[in-house]
Amino acid sequence: MIEPVALEDFFITFFSSALIILAGAGYALLFSWSKVNPSIRIKIAAYVSYAVLVLAVAVLTRAAHFQGYWLIISVLMAVGYFFAPIGIWHLCVKTHAGSNLKNNNNNNNNNRG
Amino acid sequence: MNETPLWASESFWKKTAIWVTAGSFLILVVLTMDSLSKTSAGSKRVPAYSVINKKIDYQYDKELHKFMPVIGETELLFGKEYSEEEARQLVDLGKKTTQAKNCMNCHTLLGNGAYYAPDLTKAWLDKGWISKEMREDMMVKFLMDPENNARTYGSNRKMPNLKITEQEAKGVIAFLKWMSSIDTNGFPYNFKTINAEE
Amino acid sequence: MNTSGLNEAAQKAAALCEKSRACVNDFKAWVQLDSRNLSDGQQLAVKYFIVAVILFFAQILFGLLAATQFIFPGFLYEILDFSVNRMIHINAMIVWMLYGFIGCVYWFLEEESGTEIVGLKLGNIAFWVLTAAVTLVVLVYLLVQIGPGKDSSLWFINEGREYIEAPRWADIGIVVVMLIFFYNVVATFSKGKWSGIAGVLTLDLVALAGLYTAGMFYMTNITHEQYWWWWVIHLWVEATWEVLVGVIMAWSLMKLLGVRRKIVQTWLYIEVALMFGSGILGLGHHYFWIGTPEYWLTIGGFFSALEPIPLVAMVVHAVYDSGSHALKSGNHPALAWIIAQAFGNFFGAGVWGFMHTLPQINLYTHGTQWSASHGHLAFFGAYATINIAFFYLAIQHWRGDVWMGGGSQNAWRWKWALGLLNGGVLGMTIALLIAGYEQSFIERAVEGSTWGGYFTAQNHPSFQSAMIWRLFFGGMTFAGFILLVWDLLTIGKGETRKAPEIIES
Ligand code: HEM
Ligand code: HEM
Ligand SMILES: [Fe+2]
Repeated sequence: MIEPVALEDFFITFFSSALIILAGAGYALLFSWSKVNPSIRIKIAAYVSYAVLVLAVAVLTRAAHFQGYWLIISVLMAVGYFFAPIGIWHLCVKTHAGSNLKNNNNNNNNNRG
Repeated sequence: MNETPLWASESFWKKTAIWVTAGSFLILVVLTMDSLSKTSAGSKRVPAYSVINKKIDYQYDKELHKFMPVIGETELLFGKEYSEEEARQLVDLGKKTTQAKNCMNCHTLLGNGAYYAPDLTKAWLDKGWISKEMREDMMVKFLMDPENNARTYGSNRKMPNLKITEQEAKGVIAFLKWMSSIDTNGFPYNFKTINAEE
Repeated sequence: MNTSGLNEAAQKAAALCEKSRACVNDFKAWVQLDSRNLSDGQQLAVKYFIVAVILFFAQILFGLLAATQFIFPGFLYEILDFSVNRMIHINAMIVWMLYGFIGCVYWFLEEESGTEIVGLKLGNIAFWVLTAAVTLVVLVYLLVQIGPGKDSSLWFINEGREYIEAPRWADIGIVVVMLIFFYNVVATFSKGKWSGIAGVLTLDLVALAGLYTAGMFYMTNITHEQYWWWWVIHLWVEATWEVLVGVIMAWSLMKLLGVRRKIVQTWLYIEVALMFGSGILGLGHHYFWIGTPEYWLTIGGFFSALEPIPLVAMVVHAVYDSGSHALKSGNHPALAWIIAQAFGNFFGAGVWGFMHTLPQINLYTHGTQWSASHGHLAFFGAYATINIAFFYLAIQHWRGDVWMGGGSQNAWRWKWALGLLNGGVLGMTIALLIAGYEQSFIERAVEGSTWGGYFTAQNHPSFQSAMIWRLFFGGMTFAGFILLVWDLLTIGKGETRKAPEIIES
């Protein structure tokens, strides 16, 4: 069963939920950008974004009184949003395999993968 | 040239898409059958229509963190004891009236609908009807002529006259009483019924 | 009436006819659109687009009336009550978006299948029948509005169920028209050639039409009724419509950016797996409080947490692709609206959806202005945008594939329309977010969800000013819409440069 959010935690609940999605997307964006354009700074920014995500998950876990089963969702979000962009990146590379040969207006190819 | 591995191939994802969709849908169908049977009128969560003959109240359950419905002793509606079939017919008339009058495009029912007027889920138990003795009479009058019995709480929002007949009004009230007995997992939050002591 | 009076009336009618015909001709001369640029299927498609735009106008108009009533409750009281305006507002939305989608499919059906539409005549008849039925339904909504608590009211006036209020006779008509549409799609692909896009489209249309029938039954038991009602609403917008947009997007990417078919189709399958995998059981987030068993709390919570994954996938993919296609598009407005779709879908469905989806917080936000905030951003961001993008693709072709890229004349119009529409909806969304926050806090958490609590929240100054801001931004949306229509009618007029041809890479 659930224990509803307490009154004083309303704002923090909305805020941390939004932050989970935003930081998750930010991490995905920066991670894939660091692949297109290898740079240590972008990589660091990606991991900072991921750290924000983990923090937001922790805050939400507390505010929404996650216990027992619900902790699985917290873990799932922390782990899942870390690996999802990596997996999807590999999928991008592999599904586009072969198309780079014919592609002309593009000089980033060698950085891929 | 790099080969496309199986897990990135079109045919692999085609099959995955089909299996994921079919699998999810199958689970949904099973859950639907279970949910429908657990919520048929006369089940534990959704009482039989004849619950309109009873007193309905809510009690806080500390362990579950929610208010649970409590079906009490006899408390007749319009001074009449309805058989199961009579009760069903009256609630049915009420339900149909709420649809034909489009209640849901101003109010919410079970929290779904529009946000221009108050939620009706537990309207039968609302403190706004002042006392249990006055409630039935006030509700019938209000439904039949909302403009002259307006309950606007200083908002100036008045319910329009929807040409509800007396019989339809009684049906709607029976429907509301029945709906207020459904176990909605504690929605709306922290609801204080007309029976609650201040 | 005597004969001379009759004659006079006939003459007047004839004169009126003549006048309106002249008006139409003037209009045709003014827009300078040449239908010879369109294939048969595309001519049918633009009919759907035209009605879609008209219904979009109705949506905004009645939205403004309803929003005004929040501020002046006496406005049109017992003439056009809030319930009537709101019903038309949301019905017009559902119907215009469906018109838009059908139009999109007819638009590319011939090209994708490599043959002519099989039942063109039938398709045209279906279009006129549907449009006549929609007109009749709206007239009854406006003039009859409500009926007695009998079956006949549900059959002929309205069914009183949010979003699918259309009376039962119209439901049946809609299903028949959908079957004709479906026949056209399947028969045309069968005669020409099938493809991955065609397969996904066909299965998705089966699901979309099948779900509609789930909402066609009357039930006394409101828990059961709401249970099936959400099948239609949720499984439409969070599953079948998303996939339909995926199909339209896949085809557009192939045509606009020249992405290879094999890649596009693989990704379409990936999207279907992710969307249906999270969306179908994500239905659980509507079964927390309608009387259904407690296990839906866990299921709804779990799958809602998965729903943003497809959006993350899109982010990664977009970055991957941005290197390979330098976005040298000959249709800037269409591209801009597709980008707006990506953001709108992400924020409206992803961020706004997740913020109120967990039961621990949804207990307070359920059935408040919070839902309206999310509903506006999600529907506009995910579905209005893609339709508008397609309108621009259609008009470009209708003008004879003229250049609509950089350096076009009067580009300010589409840019301002884009800005005003998106800014307006975003502004409304924020205003409703503030209202919803205040409402869930005061009405629910503090006051214990009574009628008294409801009105305390509605009378609160922050709520009242949020309603004024919503109307203000509604006006902005309306201005954007007017500009959009003007732009659609005039863009590319007098342009002589051709858009570059895109070939599959
Ligand atoms: C394009 C996709 C979406 C659209 C068009 C959309 C639209 C809507 C609309 C219009 C409502 C209000 C329904 C009503 O009138 O009662 C709603 C409710 C809801 N949506 Fe979405 N939605 C989308 C995606 C999502 C996603 C991805 C999530 C979760 C992550 C979500 C979570 C919810 C929840 C929890 C509610 C119920 C609100 C309540 O309790 O009242 N939605 N949605
Ligand atoms: C001029 C612009 C608009 C105005 C003034 C407006 C106003 C309104 C109002 C007053 C409601 C009723 C809310 C309630 O029950 O309290 C509503 C509901 C709704 N509108 Fe709009 N609207 C506008 C544009 C749009 C657009 C562009 C869309 C989407 C494309 C949209 C989608 C919806 C939806 C989905 C609902 C139902 C929300 C729910 O039940 O949660 N509206 N609108
Ligand atoms: Fe949903």
